[in-house]
Amino acid sequence: MSNTQWTITVGEGSCGIAAGAPEVTELLKKRFPDAQFKSVGCVGMCHREVMVETVNDQGKSYLWGNLTKKNLPKIIRFLRGDGALPTTLLIRSSEAPDCDGGHYLSRQTRIALRNVGQLNPTSMAQYLDRGGYEAIKKIIHSGMTPEAVIEEVKIAKIRGRGGAGFPTATKWGFARNAPGEVKYLVCNGDEGDPGAFMDRSLLEGDPHNVLEGMLIAAYAIGASKGYAYIRAEYPLAVKYFGQAIQDARQAGYLGHNILGSDLHFDIKIKEGAGAFVCGEETALMASIQGERGMPRIRPPFPAISGLFGKPTIINNVETLANLPWIIQNGGAAYASIGTEKSSGTKVFALAGAIARGGLVEVPMGVSIRHVLENIGGGSASNRPLKAVQLGGPSGGCIPERLFDTPIEYEAINATGAIMGSGGMVVMDSKSCMVDLARYFLEFTENESCGKCTFCRIGTLRMKEILTRICAGEGTMAEIDLLEELGRRIQTATLCGLGQTAANPVLTTIKYFRDEYIAHVQEKRCPGGVCKGLITHTIQNDKCSGCSICERYCPVKAITGTLKQPDTWVIDPKICINCGMCAEVCNPDAILAA
Amino acid sequence: MTLQNMEAIVDPNLVHQWITAIGSDSSAVVPILQAIQRHYGYLPRKAMDLVVVHTGINASQLYGVATFYAQFRLKPVGRHMIKVCHGTACHVQGADRLNTSLRHALGISNPEHDTASNGSYTVENVACIGCCSLAPVMVIDGQAFPNVKGADAQRQLFKHARENNEILAGQDAENQ
Repeated sequence: MSNTQWTITVGEGSCGIAAGAPEVTELLKKRFPDAQFKSVGCVGMCHREVMVETVNDQGKSYLWGNLTKKNLPKIIRFLRGDGALPTTLLIRSSEAPDCDGGHYLSRQTRIALRNVGQLNPTSMAQYLDRGGYEAIKKIIHSGMTPEAVIEEVKIAKIRGRGGAGFPTATKWGFARNAPGEVKYLVCNGDEGDPGAFMDRSLLEGDPHNVLEGMLIAAYAIGASKGYAYIRAEYPLAVKYFGQAIQDARQAGYLGHNILGSDLHFDIKIKEGAGAFVCGEETALMASIQGERGMPRIRPPFPAISGLFGKPTIINNVETLANLPWIIQNGGAAYASIGTEKSSGTKVFALAGAIARGGLVEVPMGVSIRHVLENIGGGSASNRPLKAVQLGGPSGGCIPERLFDTPIEYEAINATGAIMGSGGMVVMDSKSCMVDLARYFLEFTENESCGKCTFCRIGTLRMKEILTRICAGEGTMAEIDLLEELGRRIQTATLCGLGQTAANPVLTTIKYFRDEYIAHVQEKRCPGGVCKGLITHTIQNDKCSGCSICERYCPVKAITGTLKQPDTWVIDPKICINCGMCAEVCNPDAILAA
Repeated sequence: MTLQNMEAIVDPNLVHQWITAIGSDSSAVVPILQAIQRHYGYLPRKAMDLVVVHTGINASQLYGVATFYAQFRLKPVGRHMIKVCHGTACHVQGADRLNTSLRHALGISNPEHDTASNGSYTVENVACIGCCSLAPVMVIDGQAFPNVKGADAQRQLFKHARENNEILAGQDAENQ
């Protein structure tokens, strides 16, 4: 078998690298020195990282997952013809394309993500091979007017994917018609929702697609200058997008007289500096201008007076990533996917207590349950799923009984949550909804820019109340007070951060009031999470007396004699309920309740 | 070594170079601060003074920006930086325990402090690094570690310290 010519493709997005892709590649290169190696972005099956695809010269392919330096020899032996097929490491093969692991991809409809994981993000040639820059060529060579481009996007009915869901074509129309020589187009890559990584994957995995989307938008509104505002926490996205800008400039897709037309457009990257509120468009513009990222009153809307006082359009990364497809396939084709009011597809970042986490792109209108069960594979443990958190700190929790809600803007808003940018964090029975609400309020309180009193003080008060409830010191009246404060913050604040800050609290009270009551009245945390309401004890019948808990206990609360299970105890006066002992205990002898 | 003498020695020529390369109008504030922090790990007072002297940016604007954004820090950092992700997925999977175990191993007991007293490591929380399916995640000097529980975090720290000849001050050093 030694003369077989292999093509080996390794997923090297941020998560692949974090999971150990570089060392897997290194080892494979040693074993297959003659193979052709390709590096691609993250295909989105983050739960199976490190992923490698091996294709031989007869086109026989295997997609492997969960590879480590340790299990790699198994697939190496198999590929050399002297070992059994390591089925646990196989995601799919050319013989069995729709096996269990393959479902994850085959049940998705990929438009924004169509190239992600399929090409090397640093290779412009590969993007061109896959039909890249054909959309902008079509616009320029067929003489499509900016108005015609806006019309096509209007037919597609695409709504902004950043969360608010405002129709993209309408927003463009404002900027197109706004007077002014200089107009700006900004790509909003400030993906601040904790638990969301769609934009990271798009910028890292297919930067030219986002860049082409920016070109299309710039042409439509008449912008000559562009900014890509990317979070500093995404170094690989900054690097690859920067490379894409350079390559595009060299090939004549950026700069003066693009493709021989009178379109002039160039892009600068602005790295964010860690402020969630900068996802809000007026705050983002303040940040680009070198100010504190604080939102301002609208109107004037950015489309009329935005960056440096000029008409400015700010589009989300995912919105932009859909544009080349829309221009190439037509707005009607895009509108035929999804539902009447929510057309097209939506990308979600699936994480938490789910068996198969990662990137999922589905047509609008499918149910949440479909995403969680048919694609995500349901619960990661034997515990039942309890809720899903959509939209991060601005969003809310949707309980299991509403999992049949279709994924479309209006239906999700009706539950009290929001579509958001696409973070989907799944919770099972071992999560505490009060703790989750506290976590989000701590986040928003931290990230509040401080301009509006209700947001600045209101989120702090709500966090304090939630902290008390989590410690078992809350009162029933405080649950009502939370609701009242929440409603007031919603109505008395300027920007999206404040207006939505209470959503995580309001939805958890609405759907999980019983958990709040358990904390207040019974001093009990049903999820076993809140430190003030649980105690850790050693179940001596299960204990092996190995002493590992003693070694990891940060406060030396555990004592006992080696190999004598009956002697081990935790001193509740010293214990801080950090849970380290339960985590390291092999026989699972430590009870947190 | 105490925290006081961890202050960096600022090279005025470097600061000058950054200003020349980036610009000196107000929209350059964030990139200039990022350049300074990339080099020194934080924003030394001396460097901030130089920016005020050599640009049109006044001190209130400079410090206003520096204190607004989570990325910037005005306190010196250790020789190595540990970032613990506190995104939603990491939180739900017990990111708190990473802090407990790392701080314990480093002997950082004062809740106001984030750096070991011997200047070896700084432990910082970050909002979300976007590797949510690998939660909990921590990053040491730019290298991400996936699926680290509290105990794994300590093990990785011990390994890193051994490889970099760092001595850990925590009571758990015997675990090394």
